[in-house]
Amino acid sequence: MNAEYAIETVQLGKTYVSRFRGRKIPAVSDLSLRVPVGVKFGLLGPNGAGKTTFVKMLLSAVHPSSGSAFLFGRNSEEPEARRPVGYLPENHRFPTYLTGNGMLDFYSALSGLSHTERKRRVPELLELVGLRDWGDVRIKKYSKGMLQRLGLAQALIHRPRLLILDEPTDGVDPVGRRHIRDILDGLTGTGVTVFINSHLLGEVAAFCDYAAIVDKGRLVLEGKISSLTAGRGYRIAVSNLSEQGLANLRQAGAVIVASTAGLEVQAATCEQANQFIDVIRAAGALVESVEVSSSSLEDVFIRATQTGKAA
Amino acid sequence: MTTEPVGGRALDTFGALISDTFQEARARWLFWGLFGLSTLLILIFLFVLKIDLVEGAISILGIERTAQAVSIQAFVRKSYSFISMFLYVWGTLLAIFASSGLIPSVLEPGRIALLLSKPVSRPILILGRYVGNVLVIALNHIYLVGAIWIIIGIKTHIWEPRFLLAIPSCLFIFSVLLCMVTLIGVVTESAALSVMVTVALMVISAILAQRQFVMRLLSSEWSRDLWRALYWIFPKFYDLATVMMHSILFDRNVEWITPLWTSTAFALVTLFGALFIFSRRDF
Repeated sequence: MNAEYAIETVQLGKTYVSRFRGRKIPAVSDLSLRVPVGVKFGLLGPNGAGKTTFVKMLLSAVHPSSGSAFLFGRNSEEPEARRPVGYLPENHRFPTYLTGNGMLDFYSALSGLSHTERKRRVPELLELVGLRDWGDVRIKKYSKGMLQRLGLAQALIHRPRLLILDEPTDGVDPVGRRHIRDILDGLTGTGVTVFINSHLLGEVAAFCDYAAIVDKGRLVLEGKISSLTAGRGYRIAVSNLSEQGLANLRQAGAVIVASTAGLEVQAATCEQANQFIDVIRAAGALVESVEVSSSSLEDVFIRATQTGKAA
Repeated sequence: MTTEPVGGRALDTFGALISDTFQEARARWLFWGLFGLSTLLILIFLFVLKIDLVEGAISILGIERTAQAVSIQAFVRKSYSFISMFLYVWGTLLAIFASSGLIPSVLEPGRIALLLSKPVSRPILILGRYVGNVLVIALNHIYLVGAIWIIIGIKTHIWEPRFLLAIPSCLFIFSVLLCMVTLIGVVTESAALSVMVTVALMVISAILAQRQFVMRLLSSEWSRDLWRALYWIFPKFYDLATVMMHSILFDRNVEWITPLWTSTAFALVTLFGALFIFSRRDF
């Protein structure tokens, strides 16, 4: 397998079998995905789409029923394949009897950091996530946002080459979210691959370069976010449109939205935009401007998950 | 990443898992509970239990002997063997209760996923916990048996080091039973069920050990074969206690190899079963 990819899955699948009835429940099916080294990648999908199962298969917490997963070219089932990986799970439960220092020391020891290195890295990471004064406090006293930042410190402490974050800002207030975002932004240009599993589309759109959308365990869309959201429609600003003109436009199938400057007519394709412009001009109205509009990631997401195919 | 050589790294990882077990035992009050109860028992020996040695006569546990009636050394040994038997049962039960939650707690969702994401093999994760658990109990056994040995030694002026055989004996049977606690913990994630099954195992093993007596009561050959088979399969909780008592009494005729290897075999099979199931499970 190719070490150019931080993550590579080949027809990865997981089918759970219910214990008593033996009923088969597919969670992930034939999912092939490649995440190049150094990119910021967002994995999106509705609840129950199989995102977390997919992430757990990458980390070998769940064994695949079919296919394989590779991290930097090594099979993820090998413990050594996980050495360059930092992971922040969703709904994590850190041992509450540990202090912030103790927790970071424990997990960094498991990640293979030497004692000397741990002594140096623990305060550095606490400083990075803004918990410098909390190192000696037991983590049962930490707020949700603090726990999330501590979890991020845990994921970063051994200088991973791949950071896998499962809902990293879930339940975190806007200030905490901003803090986490700043820390992740600090990784830009360091060559670290960031893989975010999130249902917060805005977050993925703002931070990631690439995204994949998973629905019902299958990959339905994948690509550069700029490509996915580009060239998706046209907005035509109109003034002096009569009632008759409005009716004609509606009849032609236009979506008309009131805007601060007047009316805005939305067209999905270039041909449709030209057809609407003809209707507008025939009604004696003025075309103030025509803009190519890009879809939001949310539009792309909804189209992809509703149609079950590439938008 | 600055890392140590592979050997040092593996030791560091194992050390971290053991240290984590100690920290959890302390935080859950298991450590302090065990040591508190042990201290209570030591205090009973220190202040309540009457042990006197005056001009060749000794009284232990209210039983009095004179040098003429019996060798005082032998009498002390006998007393030690009874005390060790009591500690064997008491210590093992206490240790099982204290250890039952330490495996299921690691398997909590949100905790196990993070542990499994580390470059550590699954068997090492469980073995680290297992060894940490055994060490917690070893410390307690050393403290309890050692303190009682010192107290009796000071009171009787007879220092019988064979009493200290109770430490490895208690620890060995605990290590065997802990394999069962681990297996049930890995399969069911239930601390209560781990205790129930393991205590049942102790009781059944003690009943199975009465085979000489039971064989006479069983009417059919197949039932006798079944009894024998179960006796060989189960760990020898009762037999090992007998071995310990006889060893303290300097009885050289005691058969210790069979209970030792059959119990070890049971422990290995159970532990490998636990490791196999843990390695195959999804979390």
